[in-house]
Amino acid sequence: MLDWSVIVHYSPFLLKGALLTLQISAVALVLGLAAGLVAALCILSRNPLLQWPARFYVWIVRATPLLVQLFLIYFGLPQFGMDFSPFWSGVLALALNTGAYNAETIRAGILAVPKGQIEAARSLGMGPSLTMRRIVLPQAVRMIIPPLGNNFVILIKDTSLVSTITLVELTLTAQRLIGSTYKPFEMYLMAALLYAVLTTTADFLLRQFEQRTLGVTP
Amino acid sequence: MIRLRDLRKRFGRVEVLQGIDLDVAAGEVLVLIGPSGSGKSTLLRCINHLEKPSGGEVWVAGEQVNRGDLSHRSLQRHLNRVRTHMGMVFQQFNLFPHKTVLENIVEAPLQVLGRPREEVEKSAEELLAKVGLSDKRDAYPGNLSGGQQQRVAIARALAMRPEVMLFDEVTSALDPELVGEVLKVMEDLAAEGMTMIVVTHEMGFAERVADRVVFMADGVIVEQGAPREIFSAPQEERTQRFLRDIL
Repeated sequence: MLDWSVIVHYSPFLLKGALLTLQISAVALVLGLAAGLVAALCILSRNPLLQWPARFYVWIVRATPLLVQLFLIYFGLPQFGMDFSPFWSGVLALALNTGAYNAETIRAGILAVPKGQIEAARSLGMGPSLTMRRIVLPQAVRMIIPPLGNNFVILIKDTSLVSTITLVELTLTAQRLIGSTYKPFEMYLMAALLYAVLTTTADFLLRQFEQRTLGVTP
Repeated sequence: MIRLRDLRKRFGRVEVLQGIDLDVAAGEVLVLIGPSGSGKSTLLRCINHLEKPSGGEVWVAGEQVNRGDLSHRSLQRHLNRVRTHMGMVFQQFNLFPHKTVLENIVEAPLQVLGRPREEVEKSAEELLAKVGLSDKRDAYPGNLSGGQQQRVAIARALAMRPEVMLFDEVTSALDPELVGEVLKVMEDLAAEGMTMIVVTHEMGFAERVADRVVFMADGVIVEQGAPREIFSAPQEERTQRFLRDIL
């Protein structure tokens, strides 16, 4: 049924593609977390100069397709002299995208910390930034990790879209190998399997992290 | 020590505090009683600006707390500073769950006052001994009973060496058999001469420990006086009705 020889012979290429997928995911994850945290804090601040741009950012990114955002950056920005390499275009689009979803998650987590915690900190003379840093965020993290982990899994899968801008990650590798193998089913099946390995491993590691650092989740 | 002049607080259209005038002397133990909705918790929370007064003045240790003339940032710095003169204990304890008992107590002296760690930890251990919880120093709040948590909360507030302690119905959320241990700590504190404002339903405590009892209803002070006067011979009808209902 399946041509196993082809799968075995070409798996090194697919693994190389998967490695690039992992690299893109990792960089976009870190940048996306930073973007999400900044956006969340801006939306929560009283300052309209911070609030409204952040709200706009979250809205526009969640309202438009990731693919279009990607094309805007890779094909559109050069019109204004802003040329990013395929790698950085892809990472930027993915980071901004995951950042907007992270912003909502982080904001919800921060708001979920009981008001009494803030009151106690205030009554002890702790100002807003001290309270946020030492009392609110550490408690919010507990609530934020599961949905953020979810966003990371989605991010890994979303990296497949950068195959459209010449990045030879897992999806494009599979696509190109069809030219040599004439076995689209085997190639895409392997790609899918490798994505599954990546996302499931990420999920597992996240759960371990949750258990070890945060104690057993209730 | 504390001066309230024509203190008003409005929530939307509801006037929760309708012009309160109150003086509390240093070392005095003032107990606030009254039906729910009378404004007693709101009054307490206006003192350390957890609620922003809608009108009037709040003075603590010679400084006005509710300064409307300051910019947002300056106001925050001002509040951080004046709040170090006051310690507050809450009905829901509000201990920091991600920190141990000791860490809870040393947090503010370390972060806000910048005192050195060894000194702060030593004071914290003394405070823990004072509230009878030396053996719980490395425990997490989640592993303590309500009464123990509240005693830690008191120690945490005392760690800042405040001149005034504010108690907001601190035993109302406790199982009855745990109330006594917390009241005992408060009594000892009073005996040491701490200025205390206590909102409570514990009338026995009020009779034993208060220098003055203030009865509030519908946002005004109806009557105040020595505990014996208020409890045995209340002058106002509203006071009599309240005491009849609860005693």
